[in-house]
Amino acid sequence: MAIQVSGITKRFNDFTALDSVDLEVKSGELLALLGPSGSGKTTLLRIMAGLESPDGGGLLLNGEEALGLKPRDRQVGFVFQHYALFRHMTVFDNVAFGLKVRPRGERPGSAEIKRRVTELLELVQLSPFAGRYPAQLSGGQRQRVALARALAIEPKVLLLDEPFGALDAKVRKELRRWLRKLHDDIHITSVFVTHDQEEALELADRVVVMNQGRIEQIGTPAEVYDHPASAFVYEFLGQVNRFDCTVEGGIARVGDGALAIPAQGGVQGPAVAYVRPHDLGVTPASAGPARISGIHVVGPDARIDIDLAGLTLEAEMDRERLATLGIVAGDRCAIHIDRARVFAR
Amino acid sequence: MPADASIAAPASIRVQPARAALTEPAWVRVALIAGALLFLALFLLLPLVAVFVEALRRGFGAYWTALIEPDAVAAIQLTLIVAAISVPANLLFGIAASWCVAKFDFRGKNLLITLIDLPFSVSPVISGLIYVLLFGMNGLFGTYLRDMGVQIIFAVPGLVLATIFVTFPFVARELIPLMQEQGSDEEEAALVLGASGWQTFWRVTIPNIKWGLLYGVLLCNARAMGEFGAVSVVSGHIRGETNTMPLHVEILYNEYNFVAAFAVASLLAMLALVTLVVKTALEWRFGDELAASRH
Amino acid sequence: MVAAADSDSTLAGKGGAVTVRAPVPLFRKPSVLPGFGLTLGFTLSYLSCIVLVPLAALIVRSSGLGWSGFWSAVTTPRVLAAFEVSFGLSFAAALTNALFGFLVAWVLVRYDFPGKRLVDALVDLPFALPTAVAGIALSALYAPNGWLGKPLNELFGLKVAFTPLGIAIALTFIGLPFVVRTVQPILQDLPPEEEEAAASLGASRLQTFRSVILPAILPALVTGFALSFARGVGEYGSVIFIAGNMPGLTEILPLLIVIKLEQYDYAGAAAVGTAMLAVSFVMLLILNLLQHWMRSRHAR
Repeated sequence: MAIQVSGITKRFNDFTALDSVDLEVKSGELLALLGPSGSGKTTLLRIMAGLESPDGGGLLLNGEEALGLKPRDRQVGFVFQHYALFRHMTVFDNVAFGLKVRPRGERPGSAEIKRRVTELLELVQLSPFAGRYPAQLSGGQRQRVALARALAIEPKVLLLDEPFGALDAKVRKELRRWLRKLHDDIHITSVFVTHDQEEALELADRVVVMNQGRIEQIGTPAEVYDHPASAFVYEFLGQVNRFDCTVEGGIARVGDGALAIPAQGGVQGPAVAYVRPHDLGVTPASAGPARISGIHVVGPDARIDIDLAGLTLEAEMDRERLATLGIVAGDRCAIHIDRARVFAR
Repeated sequence: MPADASIAAPASIRVQPARAALTEPAWVRVALIAGALLFLALFLLLPLVAVFVEALRRGFGAYWTALIEPDAVAAIQLTLIVAAISVPANLLFGIAASWCVAKFDFRGKNLLITLIDLPFSVSPVISGLIYVLLFGMNGLFGTYLRDMGVQIIFAVPGLVLATIFVTFPFVARELIPLMQEQGSDEEEAALVLGASGWQTFWRVTIPNIKWGLLYGVLLCNARAMGEFGAVSVVSGHIRGETNTMPLHVEILYNEYNFVAAFAVASLLAMLALVTLVVKTALEWRFGDELAASRH
Repeated sequence: MVAAADSDSTLAGKGGAVTVRAPVPLFRKPSVLPGFGLTLGFTLSYLSCIVLVPLAALIVRSSGLGWSGFWSAVTTPRVLAAFEVSFGLSFAAALTNALFGFLVAWVLVRYDFPGKRLVDALVDLPFALPTAVAGIALSALYAPNGWLGKPLNELFGLKVAFTPLGIAIALTFIGLPFVVRTVQPILQDLPPEEEEAAASLGASRLQTFRSVILPAILPALVTGFALSFARGVGEYGSVIFIAGNMPGLTEILPLLIVIKLEQYDYAGAAAVGTAMLAVSFVMLLILNLLQHWMRSRHAR
């Protein structure tokens, strides 16, 4: 176990950023802290790094009590959201910084520093840029310098705060794959914070979904997407149709009975039902209860707006399927739900 | 790799694009430019020119004699001594104040910033007066100081105190916005990478604020060497002993020794010009590394 | 500014709504950066020794007179006349500066002409030039036999040196950069689109100026005016040489304080100084309120 968080609580004035959070990060895994802003994910990361101190709780890094340790003694690599590169130093000096500031006895010689930095710059594919200043680099390059700088001190744990937040969509995707590959190569225990579900689901071994200072769910990307543990996770991950409903005898009825959804788990009374758009099937039916109110084609997919007795639903399918069905806006149709979840309100 | 290379543009003066709807007729533009230039020439340039013309009215020999005369030399020395004490003192204060104000959040911070700016809104004469009231012969600590044999007013310590007061905010008010704007990310990064507090300060903070620091020191020094009202009150005008250059100028002028007065004044004017040149050069070259709120 | 705009800690720490609702329970938000105690301690001690305690001495000294003593010390005809001279002429000079400072700022921002950068740098001269130097230079220029004094006297019968006009000119000199340097950045950041919109809606250039540009600039102009005014009231060095210093006519408040000190009337000097500070602060407060009111009207 690389990191063990137990009962960490953190308040800012009367705002509770973290409410007794427990979390275990396994050695060598790549873990995502996913949540909306204000959910406490960055605070948790900063507490692990020692940049913030919690009001209560415990933190073990590689089995050692870490809360009493200063950031410099934690052997943690931290990649800041906006990189926080030293703007007056070259790329080389940025990466070398952590080695150069070591106490004289532990400081490697300058030849050794040069060797290590060169090696790291090769690892992040920035060797030709060693002499440049941060301002002369692109966003993606800065990001990789920040990573090399964090790795230079040979940390036991790598923490990344919104590592791709400041990049544009295309660079973000490239860098994401690159980071995954890097992690597969060096296997350092890593935790990254993101508010982008796609990023978390694609990159992480496990995802921790956070909301309002609490952990909603921990699981592999497939687990949290396919089996959301709470209404929040359902709404936060991916597109979803949300219905207020009433459950009676295992059936959730929406509106005045226009839609009936099987409810599992013994929910009774007022509830919320969730259906993902691609779990909502549409079949043309001239006497069907629903009506197609609009079709939007986005790239290879089609989004279909459906009007069902005053409810607006969204279904999603690929264009081929749409063509096969041969439906157009204004048609009447029948709908069926392949998969749904119902949570008590 | 990514093509979004955002190479930092050198600091440049923003030029308003010439837009058709936004320009006045040519004659209006010419008239306004001429009016502004005439005003500046009359009110700013002419007095500056007058200093040098008056100083050299009797030729270079008389000019030089006025500068090497013992009282003038003593005044120059005293001015340098006063600046050499008060500028570093305010530099130290400026760094300490901006560090605690910009890097930390605490109650009463805004009040502190207001108080730091306070000396700018106090008349120089009052700045001198307050020290006379404290340390003068009839002042609060007057008798005590006399018994101790310490003289502050009408002596160098008084000059230094008054100068420190009037130049108090210069470094701090340049550094505070600059350090606030830069945030603490780089310092945090340094700490996580294993640097100690001092290492972080010297290797990360100081390099980031060096031009702002120089800018503040430059303005602080110009004012320290040129201050008149405050030091006039605490000096006692003892020739060769407590006369700084501006006070020496006053005495010479009141003795109708105009050439000598303007000769010493011309040194101060040159100091002002050097200050302006360095200040402008800093603004052109390192504008983005100076406080955003600079005037 | 905190860089991490959407990080959780920022949201908690800086969220206006959060901090306004409840009083801050902690004296300071914890931070990993070292040196808070040391730097704050040094800052506060230095501030107290240099600024706060001495200024308190001013109040203490003048309160020693008692209220009636204080009142009679600051309402003698000579002091009242000096108040009038200092505040009246500073007001006039600040007004002149508001007008010409705006003109200079406008020309520097909007037009191109050779030597513009030099002129821009020159504007700061009054900040850099020691006041005594400015004082003797202006005095020499406007003396009855000076470069400007002579022709003004011969052509228009105008006496400048040793008259209130001379004081106003000195105060204009030292106050000019305040107006230019407060108006200039605002003028520079004025979005051209607003003016283009006005033009496209059929406004003449003058109408655009009056209804679009001026309202946007006005708060800055008032700030510059206030700074220039405040500086003028306290100014000493550049004025005393050109003023003539005749009691009741061209004697400014700071000079009166110096004279009282030379007569060892410490309490009297302290009283005038206190009154002067008080009036300045009240006026600045009024100007600040005015400016606040204008800002809220022209919310951007």
